[in-house]
Amino acid sequence: MYEKILIPTDGSDTAEVAVEHALDLAETYDAELHSLYVVDTDSMSLSLGPEQLDRIEQGNWGEMDEVRERAEGATRVVADRGRERGIDIVEHVASGRPHSVIEEYAEDHDIDLVVMGSHGRSGIRRALLGSVTERTLRSTDIPVLVVDAR
Amino acid sequence: MTVPTAVLQSGLLPEGLNVSFKLAPAIIVLGMLLLFLAIGFVFRVADTENMWVAGRSIGNVENGMAIGANWMSAASYLGMAALIALSGFYGLAFVVGWTTGYFILLIFMAAQLRRFGKYTAPDFVGDRFNSDGARAIAAITTFLIGFVYAIGQARGMGLVGLYIFGDIGLPGLSGYQSMVVFMMAITVGYLTISGMLGATKNMAVQYVILIVAFLAGLFVTGFTQGYSTLLPQIEYGMLISELGTEFSEPFVNEPYYLWIATCFSLVVGTCGLPHVLVRFYTVESERTARWSTVWGLFFICLLYWSAPAFAAFGTNLYGEQIGAVYGDPGMTSAAGDVIVVLAAQLANLPQWFVGLIAAGGIAAAIATTAGLFIAGSSAISHDIYTNIINPEATQRQQVLVGRLSIIALGVITTLAALDPAAPIAALVSYAFSLAGAVLFPMFFLGMWWENTNRPGALAGMTTGLIVWTIPMINEVLPNYLGGISAPLSAPLETWVPAIGSALIAVPLVFVVTIVVSLVTEEPDMETKRVVRQCHSPEPMGQHRTAEDVVATDGGDAPADD
Repeated sequence: MYEKILIPTDGSDTAEVAVEHALDLAETYDAELHSLYVVDTDSMSLSLGPEQLDRIEQGNWGEMDEVRERAEGATRVVADRGRERGIDIVEHVASGRPHSVIEEYAEDHDIDLVVMGSHGRSGIRRALLGSVTERTLRSTDIPVLVVDAR
Repeated sequence: MTVPTAVLQSGLLPEGLNVSFKLAPAIIVLGMLLLFLAIGFVFRVADTENMWVAGRSIGNVENGMAIGANWMSAASYLGMAALIALSGFYGLAFVVGWTTGYFILLIFMAAQLRRFGKYTAPDFVGDRFNSDGARAIAAITTFLIGFVYAIGQARGMGLVGLYIFGDIGLPGLSGYQSMVVFMMAITVGYLTISGMLGATKNMAVQYVILIVAFLAGLFVTGFTQGYSTLLPQIEYGMLISELGTEFSEPFVNEPYYLWIATCFSLVVGTCGLPHVLVRFYTVESERTARWSTVWGLFFICLLYWSAPAFAAFGTNLYGEQIGAVYGDPGMTSAAGDVIVVLAAQLANLPQWFVGLIAAGGIAAAIATTAGLFIAGSSAISHDIYTNIINPEATQRQQVLVGRLSIIALGVITTLAALDPAAPIAALVSYAFSLAGAVLFPMFFLGMWWENTNRPGALAGMTTGLIVWTIPMINEVLPNYLGGISAPLSAPLETWVPAIGSALIAVPLVFVVTIVVSLVTEEPDMETKRVVRQCHSPEPMGQHRTAEDVVATDGGDAPADD
């Protein structure tokens, strides 16, 4: 049924809750698990400035230690736990706007299922912060399993 | 009294400027804004599939143009010619100061910053001195600089917009004020829609627009009015004797001391401006850092070399057609601030051409406002929020904090620009005094003297902030409060002018930082190694930072002493 499962993670506690579900599904179906971290370019531009976006454009990520550590740390958590259970893991880091990167990645890699955590924000907080999960749901036609943090 | 004529506040509506709605210029400006939005939209997402490898690198010329566009603001495009027109020789302090600043950057800081390799200006201060306190002071200074500097941009946009669109008459506001609100709303909206990456991509386009508009304006004005033929930058010399003592007899109206103080502030300020410094973090190697500075200097020079000529033509045309430039009533600061546009209008050039020159001014102001707002918001979002308050912040929380700080900056800038206390270039130079007094000594000492430590940096930055604040309270604050006349103390204004307070502040900050560093504990060996690595003569590989080198092979660059 599911041969390739994608778990987008930002290393937050919210994303962590989905990891367990993804691992279990991958184990059950003997699927390959893709762990994806998206560097949000909107957040980069607001918190580090246009010069750093130049760096992204140039692909000089290797020298952006802080960003790289964060990204690799987030995907590594999933990878380590998956390898313990004998699951095939693919780690990937990309940059852009999270929901469209997730969608593109899923299409390029023939992903069968996306598993992701949700903050369960509502009202004003959702209006202000937006929901990556909600946007992903809207933009892709691949099945998405949403795990609510609350 | 030694108040520079340029700093005196007078009527805000420029006399002689034809204020009304103009179709052709309006189309040019709106078309230009749409072009910026389109570029921003196309480049809103970074295209990086494979991220950890080094991709293409940005070249010297390209980075040099970005330096030029990022740097040249309404203060360069409009304000510099304005100051030269209003105060003649005194205005040259700006040309000299801003250019010299880049030489100091080239020699002492560009390559060294590239070797240090961090993200924001406060990052350097925070990491070099291992102190969140120092990081916070640097971040607040960055935010303050963005605010003060952007007031000048808002004023420039408002005045030029007034020429193009006329009085749009928002209820309760004057024509100028309505235009400031209108233009700032467009700018903040443009930044939000096109995104910051788009703003960066736009800088090269904005540089081309502004330099073409400025040079075309200068050549055509000079040629049609018979002032010059091929090299107006030199030929304007023939006008000097007719222009008045401001041009031919230096230091008659503004004292020598003020000239030196202003010039010094601008030199050190240029080296301490966060949005200038961060450019050097990103280039591929220290060699590129140096060469792109040289190219940036060349691109800036094109405009700076021409500004005095434009000011001279404008002043002469004003004197012939409107009235005496100097004396009472003389040319107001508002008219001075649009002298570049005014000169083209008085030369009876076609309206669309004047519109093009005005559009260049708006491009310059928008490019710099984008740079400033992002530097300000990154100080709040990256340095204060993510590094100090909430290290676990998710990317989306950072976006929220960043957006809110941009909006906050936009609102307070607009409010302050409704009734600004000084002309564009003077407003901007307050920001330079601040950058020079607080940030420059930290970067310079931090980079070149390994024994500079945390207590030294904290004491030094606090001293710098205090010395900058005193003349600001003395001269500038009373303009915003009713009932008190500026300055509060005239002798203080003579010796520590707000516009040039860095002349007093910088030596003081150096002494305080060095003395406090000497009497307190030396920084640890690792920090010292990083500093040695930063200014070691040994070339460093591409895409490496001083920290990497220290971590991998121990950083055996020789000690300084």
